[in-house]
Amino acid sequence: MKKIITYGLPLLVVVLIVMQFFGPETANPPEDPAATIAAVAKPPVEVINVIDRGCRDCHTNRTSWPWYSRIAPASFLVARDVTKGRAHLNFSEWRGMSPEITALRMTEACIEVTRGDMPLPYYLPAHPEAKLSAGDVKAICSWPEQQK
Amino acid sequence: MRFIPFILLMALALSGCGSDPASKNVEIDAAKLKLFKPLPAKVDVKPGGPEAERVALGRMLYYEPRLSKGHDIACNDCHMLDKYGVDNEPTSEGHKGQKGDRNSPTVYNAALHFTQFWDGRAADVEEQAKGPILNPVEMAMPDEKRVVAVLKSIPGYVTAFKTAFPDQKDPITYDTIANAIGTFERGLLTPSRWDKFLAGDAAAITNEEKAGFNAFLEAGCQTCHMGVLVGGNLYQKMGLAKAYPELADEGRAKVTKSEGDKFFFKVPSLRNIEKTGPYFHDGKVVTLDESVKQMGEYQLGAPLKDEQVKTITTWLKSLTGEIPADYIKKPELPPSGPNTPKPDKG
Ligand code: HEC
Ligand code: HEC
Ligand code: HEC
Repeated sequence: MKKIITYGLPLLVVVLIVMQFFGPETANPPEDPAATIAAVAKPPVEVINVIDRGCRDCHTNRTSWPWYSRIAPASFLVARDVTKGRAHLNFSEWRGMSPEITALRMTEACIEVTRGDMPLPYYLPAHPEAKLSAGDVKAICSWPEQQK
Repeated sequence: MRFIPFILLMALALSGCGSDPASKNVEIDAAKLKLFKPLPAKVDVKPGGPEAERVALGRMLYYEPRLSKGHDIACNDCHMLDKYGVDNEPTSEGHKGQKGDRNSPTVYNAALHFTQFWDGRAADVEEQAKGPILNPVEMAMPDEKRVVAVLKSIPGYVTAFKTAFPDQKDPITYDTIANAIGTFERGLLTPSRWDKFLAGDAAAITNEEKAGFNAFLEAGCQTCHMGVLVGGNLYQKMGLAKAYPELADEGRAKVTKSEGDKFFFKVPSLRNIEKTGPYFHDGKVVTLDESVKQMGEYQLGAPLKDEQVKTITTWLKSLTGEIPADYIKKPELPPSGPNTPKPDKG
């Protein structure tokens, strides 16, 4: 046990320090203002507000990288979620969407926020503003209905 | 050193995916089925004359090689109705054996696409039908007048247009030709087992197929392939996550002249996808497995494992529908009249 502490701990510290030099890519891709969901699909302002408060960091190109995202290994986990989040749904890149696909994607967003699966729960303690109220959920869920 | 966080990540990722597609009772996330709708029993047609007559006329025109300059190419040569509406070639041979530069997509269910062509340059099947007849590498007619003149010279068509468009003083026009072909195409639907499943028949697809559907969602394919057609309702950049190597075709940018639309293509429907290869706008990918694999790489930036690819394609095959054999039966084409222009092979 003592051996583990005397050799293991310093090793771990060294590893963690070295890891800091190999951070993931955190530069945000550019956002074309003409291609955002706001510009293309013109959602009601409440919907834009919910996206901005609750989803922006993982589902747009305007991620504000939190302090812990600069420290490995958390940096890798955060970067993975941002990459994956953008690949699955990117509100900054709405070019080419028909009203039908917009309604379908928002229907899926409604499913996720109703269940509390989105925003990802681990994200909430550090981002209390992202916790959605019943009204926020309603805003997301009623927009696809209105589009029909 | 780089692999240490990698190992941590792998451990984390693995812990997330325990259950494997066992062959017994695979559960599907029922709420997500709302994102996929069954084919309608019928697609609305455009105004015109009596529908049945327009369909019958459109069917004749669909099979009519005299709509081409050499009287040797009909719509059905590139979009064979008994072959799921395609010719299974990377690109198709048109007038004098010339090749186009894009793959022939299927005409089945195409009327439900939000726009037509890989780049959306036609709004609907009626507008679309005007394109190939005059396209110099397809049917190569010199102009609309010539097309109208050919049909007017064939007595059988003169009567057929009169009954299909009784309210028109001059029933044979380029517009009525397109209207008849489009009306026929609106009936080209291929309901599949997937539609039965969506309608509530839980046994219509197998457990393996259900597992494949789950893998499709897990990978994130639905972000672009959703709705009735599992696609067909948006344009997306080919190479969103990683540049696609074939950059000769700029896709939608050719139509809009907008830099931002470069390499955007209409996301194709995945109905009948098993039967409509080769794949992508350039027809460069031969197998369905490979096209799914490349989607993971170029569109999602997350390479798929072989098992994932396999299970996804298993589900995709449940989208293969039934060809409406009676509806597509080749009709007898009316004989040419004395003044019908001769084929021009030049
Ligand atoms: C902390 C990052 C994060 C936040 C914040 C976040 N998401 Fe996500 N989201 C993800 C990730 C990662 C995925 C990919 C899902 C997966 O891995 O299964 C995802 C996927 C999705 C999907 C696709 C469904 C799926 O399972 O692929 C939807 C819809 C979605 N998010 C909606 C939202 C909405 C709406 C908000 C804001 C209210 C939001 N998300 C906030 C990270 C986030
Ligand atoms: C020489 C081969 C050829 C012939 C003949 C031909 N097509 Fe096509 N068709 C194509 C190709 C190639 C495309 C895709 C071109 C593009 O997107 O730029 C296409 C696209 C289409 C589409 C759009 C489908 C979609 O998914 O967007 C429809 C519908 C269609 N053709 C119907 C017809 C009809 C009707 C005719 C007869 C009037 C016809 N075609 C004749 C090759 C052909
Ligand atoms: C970001 C949007 C996007 C995502 C995500 C996406 N696709 Fe596609 N898909 C496209 C586009 C765009 C094309 C047409 C590309 C081309 O022809 O160059 C396409 C084409 C295809 C084709 C070939 C269709 C044909 O007729 O040639 C298949 C099969 C396919 N996708 C399956 C999938 C699967 C399976 C997934 C998930 C692993 C997926 N796609 C994810 C946009 C997407």
